[in-house]
Amino acid sequence: MAWLHTWFGLALGLVLMVVFFFGSLSVFDREIDRWAIPDTRFEPQPMPSFDKMLTPIFKEMQPDAAARAMTAPLADGPLPATFDTPRSWGAYTTHRDPVLALFASYEVPNAKDHETAIWALRTVDPRTGELLPVDRLKIGSEFFYPLHYSLTLDWKNVGYWIVGFSALMMLMALVTGVIMHRKIFRELFTFRPNKSTQRSMLDLHNLTGVVALPFHFFFAFTGLVIFAYIYFPITHTQLTPLHDRHEVLESKETGLPHDRAGVAAPIASVDAMVAEAQRRWAAKGMAGDVGFLNLTHVGDANGYVSVYRAGTDRVQLAGEGIHFKAATGELLREDPPPTVVARINEFLTGLHLQHFKHWLLRWLYVLGGLSGAACIATGLFFFVEKRKRQHARQGVSGARVVDALAVTVVTGMLVATLSMLIANRLLPDAMPAGWPLRGAMEKYLFWASWAVAGVHAWWRTAAVAEGRLAPAWREQCLAIAVLAMTAPVLNWITTGDHLLHTIGSGYWPVAGADLFMLAGAALAVLAARKLQQRAARPLAVKNVTLEAGHA
Amino acid sequence: MTSITLTPRHIASRTAVAILGGYAFTWGVIALGIALMYSAGMEFHDAEHLSYIIGLLVFLTAFLVAFATQALRKVALVLVGGGALMSALAWWVQGLIIASGV
Amino acid sequence: MPDALLLLLALLSCVAGMGWFALSMDVHWSQVQGKAPHSPALVKALRLGGAGALLLSLVLCLTVDSPSIAVLVWFMALAGATLAIAFTLTWRASILGMLVFWTGPGAR
Repeated sequence: MAWLHTWFGLALGLVLMVVFFFGSLSVFDREIDRWAIPDTRFEPQPMPSFDKMLTPIFKEMQPDAAARAMTAPLADGPLPATFDTPRSWGAYTTHRDPVLALFASYEVPNAKDHETAIWALRTVDPRTGELLPVDRLKIGSEFFYPLHYSLTLDWKNVGYWIVGFSALMMLMALVTGVIMHRKIFRELFTFRPNKSTQRSMLDLHNLTGVVALPFHFFFAFTGLVIFAYIYFPITHTQLTPLHDRHEVLESKETGLPHDRAGVAAPIASVDAMVAEAQRRWAAKGMAGDVGFLNLTHVGDANGYVSVYRAGTDRVQLAGEGIHFKAATGELLREDPPPTVVARINEFLTGLHLQHFKHWLLRWLYVLGGLSGAACIATGLFFFVEKRKRQHARQGVSGARVVDALAVTVVTGMLVATLSMLIANRLLPDAMPAGWPLRGAMEKYLFWASWAVAGVHAWWRTAAVAEGRLAPAWREQCLAIAVLAMTAPVLNWITTGDHLLHTIGSGYWPVAGADLFMLAGAALAVLAARKLQQRAARPLAVKNVTLEAGHA
Repeated sequence: MTSITLTPRHIASRTAVAILGGYAFTWGVIALGIALMYSAGMEFHDAEHLSYIIGLLVFLTAFLVAFATQALRKVALVLVGGGALMSALAWWVQGLIIASGV
Repeated sequence: MPDALLLLLALLSCVAGMGWFALSMDVHWSQVQGKAPHSPALVKALRLGGAGALLLSLVLCLTVDSPSIAVLVWFMALAGATLAIAFTLTWRASILGMLVFWTGPGAR
């Protein structure tokens, strides 16, 4: 068990650092979007008029070049210049996001599989109907968040598989860790920083692992449940007949047509349907806002409009769907209360995806996520500490390699994150001709600065091969301190939103981001000082190697 | 594990059994779970989700067993053979449902 | 009572509960109260108090939010409280003397 925990923990721990850290940032992904796109720094708005504001935008939308590039290989011959048959129109709003996300899917007439669809997405200011410029990357929800669940490696879903496997290994590490650490209750509050580095790192590793054990277990587990359809695509391979049979039966049962009729039909007032849905929710004692609106079979006689309630007051995601016939507005179906199994599934996925409105719980989630990251990082530190003197004596470089990797994924990752936010403030609004778009530039700079941090990490961990503390740690902590102070200052200079203003007006998305970075800078300075003190200490004459798993 | 020497080949074979055998077994559990629960009248997506939840816990268990066991060959046989058997059964149940139904 | 205040009380109750659990252990008792007596009766009382405080915390969480959310808040509050107590024991152990003020100042 110890072998399994150590070696698979080490290998996948490097990936899990990324998953946990960016998962923690993703709790406030939409707030990070506000920081990155100053034009969207206004209060969240209710869903605007579908008929007056959204319908004209939907009618104009077309897939962008990236969507076309992704869909081209799935068609026989070239894609049409415009896509004229929309399959669905959807609008999504949350209590945290001032802007509205619109998405439309279209039939691909010459697709090899006739079920293939191509998507168009736009972001709208719901106060005015203005479209956000296409090239504003939502650094939180469109970069940090996908980085968390797929490492943004989309080719053949490779990133999803890597993250999925590391989640399974996280579960393994938790189980084997508990088996190894027998004194789980007796040492629950134990942290001895004044003892050897090995002892204090192991104490911290156990502490951060155990205090949030339910959190760590449930997040890894529910993450796997959410993407289980990717890892085990059984109902789209072996059991496709069963799946298709169910779809046909379900559309008969629900009265929601599965296919287009092929007969054109107008769309009645969606606003009236929304009002009716809200009236029905209120009548059931669960008045609420609209979270998600969807039109299926747009412009067809079989078209229907689905209105879902935003799930802000409980863990389960949007629900209580009410469906209307698109052409007439007549009620087709009110979704029945969910089954027990559906409620369990909605609870599990909902606790991970966090659509609820609860600021304390969100911050507690960040605490849990950072504890997980600390658990993984201290595991790496313990690994190196335990072996570096022995490796130095034997002339083996294992500990040095792991330390270099640890610097890269712990402090290097923070350097990359802050560098991207700084680039976000410094890049021009429109890149000059011939350059990649602004959003793409931000991503390139993220990866490039991480690579630079990695090179520095390799270079400045040479001391580990001699059994000493690597200067890379202190140097990258200092870099983080500088970067984490620069970003809020640049925010002030480029947008005028300094802390006195944002705190004074209570605009917490931006104030919170700035404060979080400044707190990080303070911690980085503290860490650099401690590392300097430790480096100045004479080397221990006798070194006791601790066995992980023995108290 | 203490009585077995950790050669690279040994590690590789345990890892293969844990990952590939575990995956095959889990596939079987989920497929059979979906087929049986749906045939018993559970809503299709409910059967799917419940099978995923159970299946993922089964995968974790199979993985740990593959590394803890002294009888690796037996475990490999159970995981791969059992997975294939359950998959085949799921196929058969699907056939029955399709043949009987609408 | 406003929600924020109830949640704050829930958090404090968690911290107190975890503190009492910690103080029921010999090693942490001596960190905080030195050589002061640590009788079995006191240990039992501390554990009961700890459990009670955690239960109170859960009840407070349930009065503020729907059950599904309240349970999550409570579990995460437990994690935060445990970290807080652990770090307090490491760096400012004597502060936790507050939780056992009736036993008098610690004997060193």
